[in-house]
Amino acid sequence: MNILLLGMNHRTASLDLRERYAVDDVGPPLTKLAADGDIEEAVLLSTCNRVEVVATTRRPDAARIRLRSFVTRELASGSQVPGDRALDEALYEYSEGSAVRHLLRVACSVDSLVVGEPQILGQVKDAYRAAVDCGACGPILSRLYQRAFSTAKRVRNETRIAERPVSVARVAVDLARQIFESLNDKSALLIGAGEMIELALETLRGEGLAAIRVANRTPARAENLASQFDASAHGLSELPEILARSDIVLTCIAGSAPIITTENVSRVLQARRGRPIFVIDLGVPRNVDPAVNELDNVYLYDLDDMSGVAESNTEERRREVVRAEAIVLEEQQRFEGWLAALSAVPTIRHLRERAEAVRIRELDRMLSRLDLDESQQAGVDALTRSIVNKLLHVPLSQLRKEVDREEVLVYMEAARALFGLDHDGAPDTEVDDALPSENGES
Amino acid sequence: MVFEFYQLAAAIYLVAAVAAALGFTLPSERLSRAAVLGLSLGVVVHAMAFWQLHEGESTPPLTDLAYVVPFVVWMLTVFYLLLMIRVRLIGLAVVVAPLAFIGTFVEFLGAPAVESGAQPASPIWSHIHVLLASAGLALLAVAGAAGALYVARHRTIKSKRPSAIRLPLPSLEALDRVNALSLVVGFLLLSLGVATGVLWTQAVDGRLWPATAHANATLVAWLVLAVLVAVRFGAGQGARQSALSSMAGFTLMVLAVIGAGMLA
Repeated sequence: MNILLLGMNHRTASLDLRERYAVDDVGPPLTKLAADGDIEEAVLLSTCNRVEVVATTRRPDAARIRLRSFVTRELASGSQVPGDRALDEALYEYSEGSAVRHLLRVACSVDSLVVGEPQILGQVKDAYRAAVDCGACGPILSRLYQRAFSTAKRVRNETRIAERPVSVARVAVDLARQIFESLNDKSALLIGAGEMIELALETLRGEGLAAIRVANRTPARAENLASQFDASAHGLSELPEILARSDIVLTCIAGSAPIITTENVSRVLQARRGRPIFVIDLGVPRNVDPAVNELDNVYLYDLDDMSGVAESNTEERRREVVRAEAIVLEEQQRFEGWLAALSAVPTIRHLRERAEAVRIRELDRMLSRLDLDESQQAGVDALTRSIVNKLLHVPLSQLRKEVDREEVLVYMEAARALFGLDHDGAPDTEVDDALPSENGES
Repeated sequence: MVFEFYQLAAAIYLVAAVAAALGFTLPSERLSRAAVLGLSLGVVVHAMAFWQLHEGESTPPLTDLAYVVPFVVWMLTVFYLLLMIRVRLIGLAVVVAPLAFIGTFVEFLGAPAVESGAQPASPIWSHIHVLLASAGLALLAVAGAAGALYVARHRTIKSKRPSAIRLPLPSLEALDRVNALSLVVGFLLLSLGVATGVLWTQAVDGRLWPATAHANATLVAWLVLAVLVAVRFGAGQGARQSALSSMAGFTLMVLAVIGAGMLA
């Protein structure tokens, strides 16, 4: 059985190209693909950063062509041109071990745009569920995806790949937690109404703050933004008053002069009776006088400071990728061991059938010569069955072991030669009923 | 048997201190949690040592430095573990665990000789006094430890260096809350400790104040706490200043206790 993977991601394809091949409902195209004779099983993953299809096949050459046509023709929407050169360059193809490794890396978020981001695992799980629901996922891909999920869990637990935040808004929350014990009783003030403020609002809303205020030069824009995030809107004229009631202040507003000065904050601190205030200034030019950081109980971070922390955290994640890759390799080898053991299933079945045929023939021959009653015949039958099972136990266990693929092939050849099994006559069985388990036993 | 329990408690505290230090530097949450677990176990073994001490034939020398210091660190550890129920303070183990080890180790430097005939006439007052005063001193130590970490955390955030920011210290707000709570409760307990000490002295020899080195050291500690509470809550001292004052107050108390021990 061969495993193939075809797809494109944020590294190989532009957003424009990815948009053309992204699908919301993977069910219908997947059902169509799985019905194809060349494809045994398939899973389709479609996110904003990647479109990938994983399939198993017994005819890899035909399946490759089918997968390419599936992506280029059946997934394309709008004005897609078949044979698009940009598409050919964007598509990557993996098979066997490299396909397994790629899928594990994707699930672990090692291959993500933001390394360590948690969403991808959920998206891979959704893709797997959709494939199961439409009957496109069989025993091999099920095992592969279960392996991918457990690998992702291991990477998350055993490395620090997702420990530190890398987005500016997340870094702000992380820093706020170093100042405040809990954010549930704290309030935030966001000054501005641009994209950065909107992103920060989204993040802060999820942190369960007691109150969020949005202040802007144009109150209407503040109101528009505030209404989307259950926040209150204010004009900049209210700043002195609302500043005193805010524990976290994030500013990103256009203007040549600072809107928050040392004098402002000194007055605010008196009103706050020494309670700390965390100020994040993302404005360029800066919205907050840098001297504010010299005040006690005020912690000011500007865009450079935030970027420095985010970059350092990204670097730490990259360092953790090395450890994550080692886990991926280990899990890839375990899966390949299982797959190799699976390829021995026809040989195992043939060997059993051959042994059973010999046993029955010899038993019949012997029983016809001897005058045995029914219980004696049953005893002899059990005895011969036991002898055959015991003789086959070691070679069959060896064939079932999840070891190196090459090693399994050597054992298979040896078994065929030693037991005189017909190379061409081995039944090409379905794998479902003879799958080896995780510990190597079927 | 008492000595063996002290040895075991000191060994457990040492392991907890190493785990806390590693948890802090690596940083590793698991190791820090293991340190807290070690401290919990150490507190139990340490309590058994005290129990054995009191089960002895004679009343222990309650004012002996080598007896009081392990008791104070035991209470400090107990307070720390109690505070952890409400406030996230795992990072504080990096200060508490070494203090617990050093405080217990004092036992080996001058193990209290349980002498008969030199004991108080009113053991109930003496026990209450020692318990309250030790609790007050332990809370001053907690306030000092929280103050030290507050200053460290404040500096790391102000420095803006990513490597410093990553240090697994409790939040500023949590440390400040621990500092304030320790000062108030510590002052109340030490005040009661001084009052019961006066009652004890009066019951023994009719005097109000014994003017011994250890009594004077306790009075110094009480004055330190009184000043810390007054400036914090009376004069509206800020969190960082209070942290610095608590560190200074704790240092002064340690010097007073050591001085009392040398003069005794």
